Amino acid sequence: MEGKVAMLMRKAPYGSVYPAEGFRAMMGVAVFELQLCVIFLDDGVYTLVKGQNPAALDMKPLGDGFPTLPDVGIKEFYVHDRSLAERGLAPEDLVLPARVVSGSEIEGILAGCTSVLPF
Amino acid sequence: MKIGIMVLEGPYQHQAADSAWHFARAALARGHQIVGIFLFADGVNNANRFVNPPGERNLAQRYEELAAQGVPIVACTACAKFRGLKPDLKMEHLQLSGLGALAEYLRQAERFVTFGD
Repeated sequence: MEGKVAMLMRKAPYGSVYPAEGFRAMMGVAVFELQLCVIFLDDGVYTLVKGQNPAALDMKPLGDGFPTLPDVGIKEFYVHDRSLAERGLAPEDLVLPARVVSGSEIEGILAGCTSVLPF
Repeated sequence: MKIGIMVLEGPYQHQAADSAWHFARAALARGHQIVGIFLFADGVNNANRFVNPPGERNLAQRYEELAAQGVPIVACTACAKFRGLKPDLKMEHLQLSGLGALAEYLRQAERFVTFGD
């Protein structure tokens, strides 16, 4: 069914492959012209933190990729307010201007999507 | 109803690959259509034809049987490369393809269900 897909980014940027695969999935799906929005919550908010340097892990910084997403047509980014606050983060710490939303606002956003891909 | 499925885990380590298979079978038995199963990340390991668990259910064989019945099942090509799953190692009726397959399943499905950790 043609509609909007919500990508949920729930996990820390390093320590598992999920956020990297989530990023790859959103790039890959967006080029096939599906409408997407991306919601960052729980430890997933860390994937947006500026200045990531995982060189000691021999991995590439995941955060660098997100600001390129508007180039493939992804323009809706949401970040969960409580997940940010619980981790001592503020919107200005993030690599892109995501809209800060409450849990109930996220419920509304998900209700407006036809499918949800959790990573 | 048209249902799409994504599997993010390989066989045995987690329940996800089992649950996805049971879900797909139950949905088919109730007359629903599975528009496709996309094996992503470690999920591609369910496509390995050399999976051979002594005395246990064979998940790769189970997915192969679903595919042989006509359910489209695609393992992500890039994820397969990351895991050394060469095309000649995969089950006969499962295909290797890119994220375009996932996009297509998302487009076709009325409900899309992800099984992962």
